[in-house]
Amino acid sequence: MELNASVILAMLSLAVLSGCGGNNAGSTSQKAKAELVYWPAPNPQEIELADSVVAQWNRLHPDIHVQMQPIPVSQSTEEVLLAAIAGKTTPDVCSNIWPGALHEYTQSGGLIPLDTFPDFGQVALGRIPPELLETFKSDDGHYYQFPWKTNPVMMYYNLRMLHEAGIDSVPRTYAEYFAAGKKISRDTTGDGQVDVWMGERDVRPIWWQRLFDFYPFYIAASGGGTLFSNGEVAFDNDAGVSVLSFFRECYAKEYFPRTFFQGGDPFDLERKASHVSGPWNVAHLQKFVPNLKYTVVPIPVPDGHTGQVYTSGDFKNIAIFSNTAHPKEAWEFVKFLVTARHDLLMLEISNQIPVRGDLETNALFAGYFDRQPLMRTFARQAPYTRSMDAVPDLKEIFDAISQEYEASAVFGRKTPAEAIHAAASRAHAIAEWNR
Amino acid sequence: MTKLLKYCALVAGLVIFGYPFVWMMIGSLKPEMEISNLKLWSSLLSFTSYRTVFTKVPIARAFANSLFVSLSVTTLVVVLGSMVGYALAKMRFFGKELLYLLILFTMMIPFQITLIPQYVLMVKLGWTDTYLSLIVPSMMSGLSIILFRQFFMNVPQALIDAARIDGCTDVQILFKLIWPLSRPVIITVAILTFMASWNDVLWPLIVVRDRSLMTMPQLVTIFVIGGEAETQLGSLLAVSTLLALPVILAYAFFQRYFIESMATSGIKG
Amino acid sequence: MSGRWNIAARIRKSEKTAYLFVLPYVVYFLAFVAYPLIFSLVLMFHRWNIVTPMEWIGLKNFIRMFDDPLVLRSFLNTLIFLAIHIPLQIVVALSFAMLLNSRVHFRSFFRAVYFTPVVVSGVVVTILWQQMYSFDNGVFNAILGSVGIDKIPWLVDPAIAMPSIAVMATWKNVGIYIVLFLVGLQHIPAELYEAAEIDGGSKYNAFRHVTIPMLNPTIIGVIVLSTIGGFSLFIEPYVLTGGGPMQSTLSAMLYIYNQAFYFGHMGYAATLGIMFALVILAVVVVQRKVIEAES
Repeated sequence: MELNASVILAMLSLAVLSGCGGNNAGSTSQKAKAELVYWPAPNPQEIELADSVVAQWNRLHPDIHVQMQPIPVSQSTEEVLLAAIAGKTTPDVCSNIWPGALHEYTQSGGLIPLDTFPDFGQVALGRIPPELLETFKSDDGHYYQFPWKTNPVMMYYNLRMLHEAGIDSVPRTYAEYFAAGKKISRDTTGDGQVDVWMGERDVRPIWWQRLFDFYPFYIAASGGGTLFSNGEVAFDNDAGVSVLSFFRECYAKEYFPRTFFQGGDPFDLERKASHVSGPWNVAHLQKFVPNLKYTVVPIPVPDGHTGQVYTSGDFKNIAIFSNTAHPKEAWEFVKFLVTARHDLLMLEISNQIPVRGDLETNALFAGYFDRQPLMRTFARQAPYTRSMDAVPDLKEIFDAISQEYEASAVFGRKTPAEAIHAAASRAHAIAEWNR
Repeated sequence: MTKLLKYCALVAGLVIFGYPFVWMMIGSLKPEMEISNLKLWSSLLSFTSYRTVFTKVPIARAFANSLFVSLSVTTLVVVLGSMVGYALAKMRFFGKELLYLLILFTMMIPFQITLIPQYVLMVKLGWTDTYLSLIVPSMMSGLSIILFRQFFMNVPQALIDAARIDGCTDVQILFKLIWPLSRPVIITVAILTFMASWNDVLWPLIVVRDRSLMTMPQLVTIFVIGGEAETQLGSLLAVSTLLALPVILAYAFFQRYFIESMATSGIKG
Repeated sequence: MSGRWNIAARIRKSEKTAYLFVLPYVVYFLAFVAYPLIFSLVLMFHRWNIVTPMEWIGLKNFIRMFDDPLVLRSFLNTLIFLAIHIPLQIVVALSFAMLLNSRVHFRSFFRAVYFTPVVVSGVVVTILWQQMYSFDNGVFNAILGSVGIDKIPWLVDPAIAMPSIAVMATWKNVGIYIVLFLVGLQHIPAELYEAAEIDGGSKYNAFRHVTIPMLNPTIIGVIVLSTIGGFSLFIEPYVLTGGGPMQSTLSAMLYIYNQAFYFGHMGYAATLGIMFALVILAVVVVQRKVIEAES
């Protein structure tokens, strides 16, 4: 009898305990882990960076688990994200947001306005110079992207070639560039054809090639203005004309070759003295031609230009998708991504410039820049770097500019004024069609 | 004298139309440096360029794809086309005239109109990057139906009536009786369809992005434009030869049929 | 009595079988002809990139089409192409056909070789001609150089690029027309030539007054087919020049392709497609009317 009672008691207590356990399980499921999906860019350096940051986060935040998934390489990120938005299969956070495509992402309400988070202003302004932050605001006054990193485009010069041609100061204006061009572009083999040039650009009218000639030069010449302003075409002006005239002169005077270059990078081979590129080229040159003596300076500007020289840059920003189940947690993760410690990691792993204003003043970064002094030049340019406008059909607009660039600069068939006007008209027609 | 001039002109024609292919084949075997010269021979012929091509792109797979797609399309067009042609020629049913006019109408529609919506249909059905998208939209052809109808109308009705009295079904009549009599038109339709399907590039470029499904001309196009050939002329010529060779071989054996088929459609068109 | 019922029953059954026979075509027609046609009419009024939902924009595609300089450009390019391609085609095809029609041996062999470019893929032809047209080491410039003439920028000069493509297209297709003209020539009754000779005409007169008129249907056929081909020109400019230099080789089909698949403007591309199709139909109708008038 006693045994029976104790058995019943044991069973009862088991029941209660398991009930408690059940309750515990219930309460744990009420405090269940939040799962966030994070998509970084699919290149090896950024995946390495993401791995590191995500691992740290998961250690510090056991209740918010972040899972990293790289974007499939076979398609463009923009295609994948647009399809995900349409199919409601978006990640929570993505750090490969190209500002040029922002309009398409927000058009269908795919992104959360980040300024609805109470500490957005404090976090953003604590990191980014206000003037630069402004350029990422959308037409409706909200911020749908958090500026993360950039690759400012600047001018590399081969110091040996400049010196041998008797040029002591690195060209900064159009006139100086032409003067150098006259001395450097010449026929060294005696066959009647120029084989060493001041510079070189791909003559095919491929739209993104303009990001390494027309676009950075235009932003420099216009003092920081991009193609559109307040949604209206803004480049039908003197700055645009002077940029096209510059390139036209280069082709007409044979400072640039008119043929499609084959057989290796002409800057590496020291066949051209100047090269428009971003910070990634530093690592490339270190690896392939470590003995090449060069320097990096801002893009040339029209004679008589005063003030800061701006340039264009390939920005990649961070966004939170409106499909997310945990917006607040996602915002915490975003803030984690953009801390100074992780920006340093970004510099070290991928040699890309974080969009922050204190790169030179913050002691945290001093060691890195001492080891890589040329990166300092890019870091200094970063606050004065402009992205592409968040307008629809950028590809086609740049394609139109490429056609006019080809007609006017490469072939000399149209005057720069005509060409700029034609390009601006087409850009306007495209913008109108998209309204 | 005029005879000599005539033969000179004709031989000049041989050079104009034939030499580029000879140059292509020999060039694909020459070392890179010597390709650009016009000489037809070199002491250093080798298959290096072909090896490069085979390692860089799945050309054998593309060949198999093209073969599979073109054979499937040809079979479907011939079988289904002959059925409709027979129905139009020898059977009676309500709406026969209307159907005939409809087919003529579809032959007049330039493909520029239907290209985009057909692509959209493929996307909606989820057929992009599948063999379905390469085969099904081509499985019927108005021209083949018209050709079959034309030919079948000339088959003596008496033969068919006799077969009917014997108790043959229409299916049996078509495939067992009429087909054996229709070798010319079947060959014509088969060759026309096969060639059109084999050489089609625009449609595969639109509906297929997966390398393992690409047809041969499509893969070659991607190879040329995509810069993978890296301006190596030998590779370009090798891949062209691979693309041209199957057709040229088939053509060499059956050239009479080829010429008659394609010229026939020229007149009809 | 029962005999007639039997036949009637058989005929009804035959009708059913007939419907089964044509069913594949009816289904095919609805899916791949009717639906695309109707859908393209809908697409004309929308903006759509396939991924995001369609957006109604009314007549904006038409307004854009009229404002778009490239639409006119691609149309003009096609006309330039046809202006060179068609006459060249006729002259070359007729010449070789006449040569083959006279008493020569190995006629089949010659004909077979001339026909080879027709069966080979357009991609092969394009690759070959890309090499032949190469400025630095192409065959044509090599030949010119050996006789002391300056090299010609075949595919690089905006004025010469499209004509170069037209010559290449002629080379590819002329085989068909040689055969067609040959057939046409062989159908001209010998009596007509005899009559012309009696009338005291030269060979040239015979050619002008007998050959050409009798070949009229074939000539018109060449023109119609070549016109349709010209508006469908795609793979050659796509591979050779990408539409350049300075958009001089942008064909109608290439522009439609770019708008649809490079820029993602399905609605606009559909509008262009319909417009070019209407142009083709108009041209073909006019040409057919000319045939009817002449005969």
